[in-house]
Amino acid sequence: MGKTALIVDDSPTMRQMVSFTLTNAGFTVVEAEHGKDAVNKVAAGPKMDIVVTDLNMPEMDGITLIKELRKMAGFKFTPILMLTTESAVEKKQAGKEAGATGWIVKPFNPEILLKTIAKVLPT
Amino acid sequence: MSNDFAQFQDAFFEEAAEHLAVVEEGLLELERHPEDLDLLNKVFRSAHSIKGTAGMFGFNAVAQFTHKMETLLDLLRNGQKAVTPSIADLLLKSTDCLKTLIESVKTGAAVDEETVQRLTMDLASASAADSQPSGTSEKKKDGAPVPGRGITRTYSICWTPPDWLFQRGLDPLQIMKELRCLGNLTKVSLDVSRLPHLADIDPEQCYFSWELQLITEKDRQVIDSVFEFVREDSELSIELIETTSEPPTASISAIPTVESDGPKPIGQILVESGVVSTGVLDQALAQQKRVGEILVEQKAVTPQQLEQALQKQRQQESTAQAKKTDTASIRVDTAKIDKLINLVGELVITQSMLSDLGTRFEMNQLHVLLERVAQLERNTREIQERVMSIRMLPIGTAFSRFPRLVRDLSAKTGKKIQLVLSGEETELDKTVIESIGDPLTHLIRNSADHGLEPPEERLDNNKPELGTIRLNAFHEGGSICITVEDDGRGLNRTKILSKAVKQRLISENEKLTDEQIWSLIFKPGFSTADKITDVSGRGVGMDVVKRNLEALGGTVSIKTAPGKGTTFTLKLPLTLAIIEGMTVRIGRETYIVPLLSILESIQPTREAVKTVVGKGELINVRGTFLSMVRLYDVFNLQPEHTDPAKSILLILETEGERVAVMVDEILGQQQVVIKSMEQNFRKVEGIAGATILGDGTVGFILDVRGLLEIARREIAMAA
Repeated sequence: MGKTALIVDDSPTMRQMVSFTLTNAGFTVVEAEHGKDAVNKVAAGPKMDIVVTDLNMPEMDGITLIKELRKMAGFKFTPILMLTTESAVEKKQAGKEAGATGWIVKPFNPEILLKTIAKVLPT
Repeated sequence: MSNDFAQFQDAFFEEAAEHLAVVEEGLLELERHPEDLDLLNKVFRSAHSIKGTAGMFGFNAVAQFTHKMETLLDLLRNGQKAVTPSIADLLLKSTDCLKTLIESVKTGAAVDEETVQRLTMDLASASAADSQPSGTSEKKKDGAPVPGRGITRTYSICWTPPDWLFQRGLDPLQIMKELRCLGNLTKVSLDVSRLPHLADIDPEQCYFSWELQLITEKDRQVIDSVFEFVREDSELSIELIETTSEPPTASISAIPTVESDGPKPIGQILVESGVVSTGVLDQALAQQKRVGEILVEQKAVTPQQLEQALQKQRQQESTAQAKKTDTASIRVDTAKIDKLINLVGELVITQSMLSDLGTRFEMNQLHVLLERVAQLERNTREIQERVMSIRMLPIGTAFSRFPRLVRDLSAKTGKKIQLVLSGEETELDKTVIESIGDPLTHLIRNSADHGLEPPEERLDNNKPELGTIRLNAFHEGGSICITVEDDGRGLNRTKILSKAVKQRLISENEKLTDEQIWSLIFKPGFSTADKITDVSGRGVGMDVVKRNLEALGGTVSIKTAPGKGTTFTLKLPLTLAIIEGMTVRIGRETYIVPLLSILESIQPTREAVKTVVGKGELINVRGTFLSMVRLYDVFNLQPEHTDPAKSILLILETEGERVAVMVDEILGQQQVVIKSMEQNFRKVEGIAGATILGDGTVGFILDVRGLLEIARREIAMAA
C-alpha cells in the first residue's frame, strides 16, 4: 500500500501491537510516545496517511493532540482514529469536537483495527 | 482474544511491572501530598494502561480489577473524593492484589479469590455512587439473529451528513465504497439543493445529501456500523423496503465473514437445530466418561497405571508451563542498539582493511598492520562495552520497592522513618539487579529494627525524632557500591562480643579488631535483638545477606559509630559474565585468580613456613598463621619451585577466611570472560570456570571457596 501511519500511545506494548498489525498490512509506521512527541515527529516533515492515537497520555493527551494536528496544514483532512477504553459518550464527543475521524474501542483485535482503518483511509 | 497479539504478552508483563511500580510509588507519595494532581494523573494513567492492555490479551480478571481501581482513582483526580489514609491504604492493598493477579496469568499460579472479591467490594464501596458497569467488556453483537443465507433485503438509505464532515477527515466516498462491499448499490442520487452560490461556497464544508438503495444479505446492524463515526451527527434513515428469498444477483464483492473456530461440537448443533434442549444436553454430557475411566472399567489398565499416566501428563503440563515462564526479556533503548550497529559497521571496515592488507603484505608495511590491529582492538573493546551496556539497567528498578517497605516497617515498629534514595540512575547488570533486592531488603529491615532508635530515645539523645535511612548507589572503579546508611544508635561492641562468646562463636579472651567484631553479625544464627519481633531478630538475614553477595562476587563491609549510625557498604561487580582476574603460572599451566579475592602476594622466608600436626602447613604472615595450599598438589602439576621461599604466595580471602596459595609466578592482570564448566563439561572442584587466553589456550579460573574446602579436607585426612 505504501501508506504511512502515525501511532501515538504511551504504552510500548500497545504501540508494538498496533505497529505490528499495521506493518504487516503494508504500512510504514512512525511511533510516538505521547502528544508532544507526535507533534515533534510530524513537524519534522513526514506526511501521514492516518493517525491512530491513545487518549490518556502524559505530556500531551490525545484530545489536545488531535486539536493540534487539525491546526497543521498537512493534517487538515487526515483521518485520525482514537484508541479508547471508554465507550463513554463524553470521550467520543470530546474527540469528535477536537476533529477525530473515528474511534476504536479497546480491547480490539487486529481485524477490527484494520477494518476500521480501511473505513476511513482515503484511497 | 487474537493469537496474533499473543507474542506481545511478555512485553505486557514487563510494562505492567513498570506501571505497578509507578502506581505504588505514586500512592506512597500521595500519602504525603494528597493534593498533588499531577501525581494522581500519573497513577491513573498507569492503571489505565494496565487495564487497556490487559484487555487486549483477554486477561479479563486483571482488566476488571484494574477498572475498579481506576474508577476510584478517577473520582480522586476529579476531586469528587479526597485521598484519605484509608483510601490510600486500600489502593496500595489493591496494587498488591493486582500484582498477584498479573503474576497468576503469567505463571498460572493460584489467586486468592477471597482477597480479590473483598478488595473488589471495598473498591466499589469506596467509589460509592459508582454504578457503571465494567467498561472493559465491549458490547457484543452476537445476540442478534443472523439473517439466513440467500435472503436479500432492499434498503432505502437517506443520509445528510453534518456540514463539518470533511474537517474530521471523513470522506463520503469511503462510505459509499463500504456500502458497495455489502451488496448491490442499485440507486445513488446526490442531492445538491443545499449548495450555495459559487462565491459563497466554503470548500471545507459538505453541502450534499444522498439517497441510496442497497440490496444486501446483511442485516440493518451491519449497515448501521458503516455510518458508525457519523451516525450521531447526521440525519440518517435506513428503511427496509423489500425482502426476497432469492440469492443476491450480480457480482457482489462481499467481504468474507470472520467467524468459526473450527466445526461446532455436535451437542451445540443439536441444540441449535432444536432437536434437544440445553438441559438434556448437559445431562448427557454429565454422564460422559473420561477415556481413562472407561479403560479401567474394561480392565484394560489398572487404576495405578492410570494414575501414573495422569501424573506424567501433569508433569508435562507443568514443565511446559515452567519453560514458558523461564524466558526473560529485556527492553533496550533504541539509541543503544543504534550505536552498536554503528560500531559493528566500523568493525566490518577494519576487517576489510586488514584482509586487504593481508593479500599484499610486505614487511615494510608492518607499522600499518600494527595500526590496523590497534584499531581492531579499539573496535572490539567498544563493542564489548556497548554489548555489556545492553544488559545494564538503572538500579532504581531495584530501589523502587523500598519506599513501600519502609512505610510498612515504620507502621510496624512505631518508629518514624524516612527513606532517602540517591544514585538510582547508576547502571548495573540485570541479573545483579534481580539478585540484589533480597539482601538490600534484609539490610533495610535490619536498619529499621536494630539501627534506628524509638522516637523517645532519639529525642532524649538530642536527635531528630524522624530517623533516616539512606540508600545510595555509585560506581567505583570496575564495581558498583551500594550503601545502606542509618542515623541510629550504631553497633554495640560489648553486646556483640558477649553474645558471640555466649553462642561460642569466639572464645572469651580472643583479641579482635573492630572490623572482625562487626563481621560477627554476619555469622549464621547471630542476633543481638533482645526480643524477636515481627520485623527481624530471628538471626536469619545477615548471614544470608553475606552469602547472597558472595554468590554475586561481591563483598559487604560495615562502618559504625556509637550513637551516630551504621553504614553497610556492598561492593558488587558490574557484571557476572566478565571478571577482573590475575593470571598466574604453575609449571607450564596458566590459572586465573579472581582479583577481588586477592588481598596481597608475598614471598615468604623459609622460617615463616611451619608444619603443625592437625593443621597442615601454615605460613606466618605478620603474626597471623594462615594455612598454605600448594596448588601443584591440588591439581597434580609439575611445578618449577617446590620451595615456598622461591615461589609466590597469594593471600586470598573469601567469606572472611584467608588462605595462602602457592604459585610459581604472577603473569599479570586481565579481564576474562567466564565460560561455565558445568555447561560445557562438568563441575570440577576448585575450579569456578574456564576462559580462553590470549594465546588461544584454555585457562582455568580458581574457585577460592572450593580451594579452602580442599585444604581443610586434606588436613583432616592427614590428621
